[in-house]
Amino acid sequence: MNIIETKGLRKDYALGSTTVRALRGVDFAIEKGDMVSVVGPSGSGKTTLLNIIGCIDDATEGSVRISDQEVTGLTDRQITDIRLHRIGFIFQTFNLIPVLTALENVEFPLLLMKKHSKTEVRARAEKLIEEVGIKEYMKHRPAELSGGQRQRVAIARALVTNPDIVLADEPTANLDSVTGEQILELMEEMNRLEQTTFIFSTHDANVLKYAKRVVKIRDGLIVKE
Amino acid sequence: MGLITKIAWRNIQRHKGKSLVIGSILFLGAFVMTIGNGVISGMDRGLQRNIVEGFTGDVVIVSDKQESDNVFLEMMGKAIEPINNYTAIKPVLQKLDYVDRFLPAGKNAVMFLSEQASNPSFTLPIGVDFEQYQKVFPNCLKPIEGRLLRPGERGVLVTTGARKEFYNFSGVWCIPESCTVNYANMDKDARADSVGLTIKDNLVFMGMGSDNATTDVRVGVKGIVRYRALELIFGHFSIIDIESFRECLGYVSAAERAVEVPQETKDLLSADESSLDAMFGSDAISTGVSSAEKTAPMPAAAPATEGQPASPKKVDVDAGAYNVIMTFFKDDVNLDKGLKRLNQDLKDAKTGARAVTWKKAFGAIGSMAVLIKAALFLFVMFLFFVAIIIIVNTLSMAALERTNEIGMMRAVGARKGFITAMFSGETAMLSFVFGGMGIVAGFLVIAAIPLFHITTDNDMLQLLYGGESFTPLLSAMDIGLAIAQLTLVTLVAMVYPAYVARSITPLDAISRD
Repeated sequence: MNIIETKGLRKDYALGSTTVRALRGVDFAIEKGDMVSVVGPSGSGKTTLLNIIGCIDDATEGSVRISDQEVTGLTDRQITDIRLHRIGFIFQTFNLIPVLTALENVEFPLLLMKKHSKTEVRARAEKLIEEVGIKEYMKHRPAELSGGQRQRVAIARALVTNPDIVLADEPTANLDSVTGEQILELMEEMNRLEQTTFIFSTHDANVLKYAKRVVKIRDGLIVKE
Repeated sequence: MGLITKIAWRNIQRHKGKSLVIGSILFLGAFVMTIGNGVISGMDRGLQRNIVEGFTGDVVIVSDKQESDNVFLEMMGKAIEPINNYTAIKPVLQKLDYVDRFLPAGKNAVMFLSEQASNPSFTLPIGVDFEQYQKVFPNCLKPIEGRLLRPGERGVLVTTGARKEFYNFSGVWCIPESCTVNYANMDKDARADSVGLTIKDNLVFMGMGSDNATTDVRVGVKGIVRYRALELIFGHFSIIDIESFRECLGYVSAAERAVEVPQETKDLLSADESSLDAMFGSDAISTGVSSAEKTAPMPAAAPATEGQPASPKKVDVDAGAYNVIMTFFKDDVNLDKGLKRLNQDLKDAKTGARAVTWKKAFGAIGSMAVLIKAALFLFVMFLFFVAIIIIVNTLSMAALERTNEIGMMRAVGARKGFITAMFSGETAMLSFVFGGMGIVAGFLVIAAIPLFHITTDNDMLQLLYGGESFTPLLSAMDIGLAIAQLTLVTLVAMVYPAYVARSITPLDAISRD
């Protein structure tokens, strides 16, 4: 079953009087439980593709279906709810809430859902914190954590709501190679344990070995899988 | 602690600099608003005490024929219509359970005559039964030379302000009877001119009656007095005994009413001029009384027997004419409601009189009090406006600086409402803490100010103070008003920054990276 499907996806940006075509008609599908790496040089459109799949950006033309639901043309509120319930994000710069502890950062999406009791939220967050290996740092704020530790918190936060997909944009770009390897191993383990679909963008060759599938993009079009 | 409250409180601590800037503005704004409210309330109370309790009463009753409500400060002292039926009005007022006390008085412009001046000048004496005056307005006049009027005594109490006017106009310096000149109280110019100065212990006032006939009255100066407060305003109004006042203005005096006029004379006086035949018929009104008898003076009192004074005729002072009746309501009576009831009761009793508020009766001063209040209020609102501008600017910049954080929150699923609530929570918290401190500080300052006994001789400041001393006052309603003003500032100030924050998209956060 395809967890993500795009058809004829186009994205144009207006830069003054010039129009930049970031995506030129992308047809793309990902199965549930897949671990896909989208690669391409800078300016190829890989970040734009991930943003549109992640409902962070709108397509100029085309269709995007997540779990068989069309997500183009929805209201801001509907899109936000899809992000909350179905998509997890891991950013290049971690983007944790600086005033919350590691544990509270992981709890944050669950608290936004307002579906679970505080006890359930806490239990789920602590389980994930333990799984990503930073249990002893859970009461620390992001400023007190290393890059690798922050990224582990981001991974736990991305997984806490049991999303259909996790999008990771250059997840190891700000990490040393050893830590980056550890993060990728963790993502691989989460993919295996939770059957969560991972899509990450990278132009780091070392990262590619962890992907089950590699999609190459250039000049706004998929050139090779 | 809720998620929003937790994030808001921790963000305030994290951004201490900005929090202090916004907090200081909220503190100062709340502080000044509280002080402003206290000054306005103190002014109101002071005016209430000094004008109402010291001079006018809550309302002033005037004749229905009186056109202008401004009976005390009408320019050029326009003639106030007389009330000739006070003896009918008095029992009506006495029966009203919401009226506490009242004082009838004469008030009109008279001319002050002096041989030293070629043209007369105007002055505005208040004619009263002084014994009654002291019961209705106790301790409102202080003699600085001489003494106060005794019961039933004729004379004038000249205010320091009026004495100065008399001197400026005519070069006459008046002193109380049987007193010597007190040079310490003398005006600087008068002291310099002491050689050529004319000293008098009695004054001549000339009034004009309704028939344009003038009457001169000479009255002895019994004392030089000061009002308890607002002397430059009240100082125009010397106090004269009511009978002298009536004679001067050609009003019906109590003594005249006390005269037993024969029925024939009464009939003649009330006869229709056109009934000439009736005058000469068998039922003629006149029975050939000689002209000498017609114009005979009032019968004198019975001659004194040896060793005993002549027996004076008993005179009801209220039987004569007045111009105004200064009236007090009981403490628990609302001014507007009391005024409405009084006017209805006066109308129902067919008294030919109506009541006006002290503010209307005092014309420019009442308006000035309202103007000062409005100016103070505008100043507070101006500060309010400045505070909003600074807070809006600071919060908007703070929102933009947190684009990554807010964008990420939106990316993981926070709705715009959550972002608004988070931002509003931070501002509300700052407002509660710092604004609350400002209100408390303002309250403490207001409570401490009277301990310093700040006084002034300047009359504009006295209007602002509501009296001689600065005694601002904070009631529960004033504190409530300060809280409402602070809440409004906070709400208005957070609208635009919240809009800026909610407009941040997840893409903004990623693009910045």
